Amino acid sequence: MSITPLRPRAGANSPDGPPVRLVTPGAQNAAGMQDDNALFRAVVMPHIDEAYRLARWLTANGTDAEDVVQDASLRAFRAIRSYAGGNPRAWVLSIVRNTAYSWLHKNRPATIVSVDDLEAVELEHAKPDERRDDTPEASLIAKVDAEQLRAAIAKLPAPFRETLVLRDIEGLDYREIAEATEVPIGTVMSRLARARRRLLETLRQDE
Amino acid sequence: MPPTGATAERSLPLGEPQMSRPKSDDSSVLLVHAYLDGELDPANALSVAQQMGQEPALAAEAEHVRDLQNLIRDRLPLEEAPPGLRARIESRIGTTRQPRATPSWMHSWGALAASIAVAAVLASGSTWLVASSQQKPVQVAELLVSDHIRSLMAPEPVDVVSSDRHTVKPWFNGRIANSPRVVDLAKDDFPLVGGRVDVIGRTPVATLVYRRAKHLISLTAAPADDAFAIGGPNSINGYNIVRWTENGVAYWAVSDVEAKELETFAQLFRTSRNEL
Repeated sequence: MSITPLRPRAGANSPDGPPVRLVTPGAQNAAGMQDDNALFRAVVMPHIDEAYRLARWLTANGTDAEDVVQDASLRAFRAIRSYAGGNPRAWVLSIVRNTAYSWLHKNRPATIVSVDDLEAVELEHAKPDERRDDTPEASLIAKVDAEQLRAAIAKLPAPFRETLVLRDIEGLDYREIAEATEVPIGTVMSRLARARRRLLETLRQDE
Repeated sequence: MPPTGATAERSLPLGEPQMSRPKSDDSSVLLVHAYLDGELDPANALSVAQQMGQEPALAAEAEHVRDLQNLIRDRLPLEEAPPGLRARIESRIGTTRQPRATPSWMHSWGALAASIAVAAVLASGSTWLVASSQQKPVQVAELLVSDHIRSLMAPEPVDVVSSDRHTVKPWFNGRIANSPRVVDLAKDDFPLVGGRVDVIGRTPVATLVYRRAKHLISLTAAPADDAFAIGGPNSINGYNIVRWTENGVAYWAVSDVEAKELETFAQLFRTSRNEL
């Protein structure tokens, strides 16, 4: 036996046990796969619903979202050994998000906003917000139906949309959102405020 | 707050067009949002609450955000991933190998992380119970069929290889809360191949593997509670499923042997006295 397992495989080689297979390098790989599978199931599988919903908000399509989640799961599985024990949900969602953007970049290049343009987008979209000086009655939005609301969220630029979805739909806290979207908490806060204001504005216009 | 004429405008009633709103990146606005999101410590929360009491624009901002959050909660119920997505992921993962051999020290970290993750799941008390109680019979059957398929593609279909039940049963001790009933059916031409741990939802369960000619039978045993309710399909993707409950334990047998043979196996397993 050339390789000594780091973790004793209890039972597999019990001294007084009847003939069992010795641990060979091949078996060692199999054990490694089992560990990866166990880790994957503990870290990734509990968050498939959230992953699917985020992918759906980012791709605006259920079938595409399923593809993205499958690709993201594979990426997560390949990277599972680099998972450092942080917040599993934020880790999984950050992979889903990156996968969704690569997917959009490849399949719908027209819809994707590059990182360089991001700041410009934020400024551009911030402007009309600042110009508005009305404070419409809040009760106006109470009549908004699910379809209108969904369409209005879908219209938000991606950085605003993902931040709003993660907070107001998925209920992540700011730290988790910062982790999942890979930006500082200050950016999460300003994107969230802008996203909510823009959304309210669109919903009022719908009325 | 923008300094220009803020005081004069604040005295106007809400809804007057002249009233200016603070910019969205104004820190007082960000703090109102953070306050509503429960992100502030008590001292900051108190000061924001006081500020909202003094500045109608901030109070209005808070009201709008609350309305929006309520609207989202009411109108957009959380959608679940489509049925079958999990099974597809599981079977894809099951046939995927890691890209390259990992140095052994990383391997040990992986193992450590895995045990921590599992411990965390178990330590969080009822968490996995809640999670597992949402498993529908169909999902359980799908997961077990996926596990069976994956085991066929893995280098070994079992974690412990032994035809001896005295080896297989103790192997589960320490891995599974209740080690399963293991019987010897070799004389009936269903020799024992070994055992492995499968996971349903987040619950580790014991699976025994028997052989019939060139076919393998995965027999999974789990505590029979609501979570693992009996029911669901008799076959998925050509794999037959036989299930039964005995002494508070639910059993699923999954295999590509004929349904009749699987029934025979189940019958023999239930009636056999050759157990540890």
